[in-house]
Parts: sequence; structure tokens; C-alpha cells
Amino acid sequence: MTRARRRSLRQVLTRLSSRHILHAYFFIAPVILLFGIFRVVPSIQTLLYSFYKVELLRNRFTFIGLENFSDLFADEIFRGAALNTLKYVLTIVPISAFLGLVLAVMFNTKFHLKEFFKAVYFSPMVTSTVAAAMVWWWMYNPQFGIFNVLLKLVGLPSQPWLMSSRMALPSIIIFSIWKNLGYNMIIYLAGLQAIPPQFYEAATIDGAGGLSRFRHITIPLLAPTTTFILIYNSISAFQVFDQVFVLTSGGPANSTNVVVLDLYRQAFQRFNFGYAAAEAMVLFLFIMGVTILQYVYSKRFEVAY
Amino acid sequence: MRPTNVLVMTLALLLIIPSLGLAAASKATITLWYPGGDITAGVNDFVDPNLWAEFEAKNNVKVEAVALDYDTMKQKMFAAAAAKNIGDILFVDDTFVAAFVKEGLLDPMEDSKAKAWLAAVMPEIKLRSEYGKGKMWGYPQYGGDTYALTWNKEHFKEAGLDPDKPPKTWAEFREYAKKLTKRDAQGVISRVGYAFRHVGAASGIVHKHFWALEGAGARLVVPPDALRGGKSAFNNEGGKAALQLILDMIDVDKSTSLSFPDPRAAFLKGIASMQYSELVSIKARQPKEAPDLNWGFGPPPVRKPGDVPVTLFGGFIFVVPKDAQHKALAWKALEWLNSPEKDYELCKKNEATPRYRANWEKEPFKSTPYFQTLKALYPGAVVFPINLGSDGVVEAVGAAIQKAWHHEASVEAALAEAERLANKAIAEAAK
Repeated sequence: MTRARRRSLRQVLTRLSSRHILHAYFFIAPVILLFGIFRVVPSIQTLLYSFYKVELLRNRFTFIGLENFSDLFADEIFRGAALNTLKYVLTIVPISAFLGLVLAVMFNTKFHLKEFFKAVYFSPMVTSTVAAAMVWWWMYNPQFGIFNVLLKLVGLPSQPWLMSSRMALPSIIIFSIWKNLGYNMIIYLAGLQAIPPQFYEAATIDGAGGLSRFRHITIPLLAPTTTFILIYNSISAFQVFDQVFVLTSGGPANSTNVVVLDLYRQAFQRFNFGYAAAEAMVLFLFIMGVTILQYVYSKRFEVAY
Repeated sequence: MRPTNVLVMTLALLLIIPSLGLAAASKATITLWYPGGDITAGVNDFVDPNLWAEFEAKNNVKVEAVALDYDTMKQKMFAAAAAKNIGDILFVDDTFVAAFVKEGLLDPMEDSKAKAWLAAVMPEIKLRSEYGKGKMWGYPQYGGDTYALTWNKEHFKEAGLDPDKPPKTWAEFREYAKKLTKRDAQGVISRVGYAFRHVGAASGIVHKHFWALEGAGARLVVPPDALRGGKSAFNNEGGKAALQLILDMIDVDKSTSLSFPDPRAAFLKGIASMQYSELVSIKARQPKEAPDLNWGFGPPPVRKPGDVPVTLFGGFIFVVPKDAQHKALAWKALEWLNSPEKDYELCKKNEATPRYRANWEKEPFKSTPYFQTLKALYPGAVVFPINLGSDGVVEAVGAAIQKAWHHEASVEAALAEAERLANKAIAEAAK
């Protein structure tokens, strides 16, 4: 290295140091490093694996181009899993967002034991999904479960719940809504409390009623919160696994099989890692696409106050 | 050399020498990975500190048993093998072997030892041991999982049936189930004549209806001993009849119901009079969960008089991974544990069925009614196919059973779809 180059490098380092840029990188280095090792590297590895036939124990990687992807689209079990995932997302995201908003509006008023009920609604969120799903498995039991006992009490016929291919997915959706509701409620509540009260006061003076205030003030001003909730809920809904694994293992007759469960089975039960990686990539692209779409679309409703 | 350096070196030597001595004197440790909990109930001796005592003393080794969760052990073992950090001996479900062989995870047994074993064991054990042309990958456990029909003797008496005579044919089975079924005041079934598995993992559903499928002439894969290739043969008259049997019991006889999804639990709770599952599981659970239950067991019914009752015979198997740290010692330990003497000793102690023909000639196996009833099941014992595509076949058949029994497809349509998926799975696994 020439003396001039050394000097210029020293100058750059000195400048970076004087602006504390080096220090900043130093402080975030552990996080960047861990994120790189546990997130970025496996993601790149997954992308690469999706183009290979992977035989891990033999340490054999055979490049097969897009064969995993073409097999995937020809596989009716995967197509069924993708459809189930889509049904799950399209149902759970709007319903849990809507119910979350309703609850948030209710909790935005003053009433007796408000904090207690807020904690009650939020508690499923902090409960382990596996533990909660085990309890719900018993509640759905057609013989002893509380749901059928309640149906019987009101004179309605017992339902097979998780035992039926038609009812199993809706049963899982009901569980997931119960599980996520508290989170959406809290986020909406924070959004509601951030809306300046002057807007409501002005509208009231102008003679706007409760419903009109809700339609023309609350909903538009909650648009950023709604965007966040829709994106966050969609991402986690596309990745649904725990509750399906515990409640039905994908059955009956694959009626609750979802993409992540299928991916898990392919990778860890059949050891088709290349195929499973292709499934992961398709899911990733789907989530990314939906997220971008939601984000771009929501820009139209962006508000500042 | 400076005094400080001398002091540092002396201290270092003082620290190193004892640890070198300890290392030289320490024993090798063989690790055995097995599924903990009720899954291996009745045959699980691994927690007994004396089990390996004699072998350990003779060979200056320590055998350490490590319990794993059954539901996730397959992937844990695979991940451990990929990381070259796997146990020396694995005690795994028979159904794992094909996938492990496909991935090159297992070490094959020496041909001469396999030959000697196959010549000395019972025919049904031979079926579970051999993976084509005398090839063996490990030793099947003693007291394997024999599936049997179990019935509640008190319910039989109450229904006017002979408690010591289970139904022999499908027709009799349907009649018995009708008589045993009970309803509440609203006419809802409160006790089923027969409880059957129709939810959960596909393998569980298929295992528990194996008796009817195979008994009627349906085959999951033919030829059954082909590791690669072959085709499914369950979409035939026998397969349709086997699925229709339960469907008729649900819809026509109303002697069973979809609302009793766990047959074993229902049987132990007294809300099912008959069920078919691994005998060892009922035997292990009954004293704890239903101590007063008076029950019997026997072969499942046959389609027509004169047929041989077909029953599933499976269980766990001891295998050695290719990358085991102490491979030679692991095989030695298994040879010792699976010797005729230990087979007799452990089976006698645990009331389990021995594998060696010679041990069946000794008491208590020779004349005790329990063992003799079990032995009577063996001529119809069928093992699960070893085909590399079996997973996919079982998924397909399990889904067909569910669709038919849940009234979501006709028996014909469900089996036709399953046949297509099963053949695809077999072909893909053979690639």
C-alpha cells in the first residue's frame, strides 16, 4: 500500500470516528452479526437449496434447476395446503382486525373494571399457543367438550368440530381469532388514544353523530394502525403452524394442512429438504407480495395530524 | 529460564497430568436414544440402572440411556446425524427404518450375524427383521406391538353375549356391536359397540384398520418387501369392503359413532365395548386408568369363515447409526442385549413375548394362557411395508379412510384418489 493510500484510509477512519459512525457500527455489530448468522445465512441457504436435490447425510447436493418448483405446482397436496392457508388468512385477518377495533372502541370509554377486562382479553396473547391449543382440543372434543355441552343445553345438535373435514379449518380459525384478538385490541386502542380529541369536539359542534364521527374521523385516522395490523396479521397468518400441528396435525384428510406444516413434513419427516426449501421460497414470495400490495395500497389512506 | 516461567510451566504440568490420567482411566460411554413415556410402555427397561450392569462390567463401558420425545425424535435424530453428533444406539419405530435407510443414516448388521438371528427367531420376528435377501438393519425389540381386538367382558355379559367368545366374522362383529351399543334418553349413543380411530396421524388411522384392509385382501404396497418401486393394491374389492364395513356400522347399524375418536381412551372409560389397537398399550394403561376393567383380547374378526385373522405386528427396533462414535461397541452391546438368554430373562420379567423360538418352549411362555393367546395371533401377523414411499401411501390411505367415513367422498372415489396419490409417492421415493 502506498503512503498516499495509507494516509487517505487513515483520513477516512478519522472522519468516521469523529462522527461516531464507527462507534455506532461497533454497538450494533452483535445484533447485525447474530441476525446475519441466524437469519440472513439460513435464508440464503434456503434459496440455494430450493434449486437442489439435497441429501444432507450423504453431503450430496445435485443441481436440478426449477424442478422442485415444478413438482411443487404439480403436487395437489401442496396446492391444497396453499388454498387452506389462503382461506385461513382471508378469514382471520379481517375478522380479527374488525373485532379488535370493536373491542378497542369499547375499551376507549370509561366503565367499571375496565382494566381487568382488558387484561382478560389480552391474556390469550401471552399464553403459549401449544398450551392453549391443548385446552381447546379438549373443548372441541365431541364427547366431553364444553362447546357441545353448551350446544346441547340450548337444544342444538352436537358438532364434530375438529373431527370433520368441513369443520376443522373453521374450528382452527375460531381458536386463532380468540388468540389474536387481544393484540389487535391493544394496538387499536393505542391508535384511538393518539387521535387528538379536538377533531371529535369540532365534529360534535358541527352536529356530527356518533356513527358519523366514527366513519369520518376514527376510521380514516386509524388507517396507519389498520395497515400495520393487516400487514402484521397477514404475515403471521401465512406462517400458521403451532395450532394446526397441535389441534389436527393437518387432518382430517389434509383439510387443515397448511403450507408451513407441509414444509415441516417434507423437510423433517421425509427429509426432502430441497422441496421444502422451494415451498419456503414460494411462501416468502407470497408474503412479500401481499405485504407490498397492502403497503402501497394503504399509502392512499395515509393521514397526518 | 526465568523463575517466573519455571513456575508457570510447573503449574501447567500439575494441572494437565491428573486430567491425562483421568482421561486414560475413564470408560467409553455408549449412548442409547429411546422414546420416553408411555409409547414404549411395558418393554421400556432403559431406566433400570441394572439393565446393562453385566455388559458394562465386562467391557469397561458405560451405557447411558437418553429419553427423547416420540413425536419429534425422527427429526432430532436426523439433525443429530447431520451434525455428526448422534447416539450410538437408536431405539426407533419400525416405520422410521425405511426413511433412515434411504438417507444412508444406518449401519447395516453383519451378514453372518443377521443369518444366525433369522435362523433362530420366530417367523413373525423374521418378518420384522429382514429387509430383503437376508439384509438386517437392527434387532426388533422383544414383546413387539401385537395389535388385537379387545373387549369389555362385563358389557358382553350385560348384552347376553359370552364374555369369552369374541366375534369371529365380520357379520358376527356387526351383530355384537349392535347389541353392545347403548343410547341415552334422547337416543344419542352413550356407548359404542366398537370404537375406531378416524382422526390424528394417518399412520394411526391406517394401523388401526389394518386388520380389515389386509384381511379382506387389500395391500398397501405390492410386493410388500420391495424397498423401492412396486405399486399400491388397496383400491380393490377387499379395500372397498373394509371401508364399507365401518361406514355401515356408522350409518346402517348405528353401532359406532364418529364422536368417539380415541378408541383406547373410550374402551378404558367404559364407553366403548370393543376396540382394536396395540395390546401392550391397553395392558400398560388399564391398571392405572381402569383398574376394575374386566377385559379380554383376541384376534380381529375375519371377513368370511375359514379366513385367517390378519393382525398388524410392529414395534420398535434397535439400530446403530453409521456415524455412531462407538459403533463396534454399540453392536456388541446390542448383541448382548438381544441374546437368547437376555431375551428370556427380560421377557419373563416384563411379561413380554420372546423373539427366539427356543424361548417359547420354556415356561411361562409355553403354557400361560396370556402368552398362548398372543401366540395364536402370530400366524396372521403382517408387518408394515418397508417401501421408501410408505409414508406417502399411508397418508393417502389415511385420507381416504377419513373422507369415506366422514361422508365427504364415496368409498370408491376416496380409494381411487388414494391409489393415484400412493402410486405417485411410491414412484417419487424410488427416484
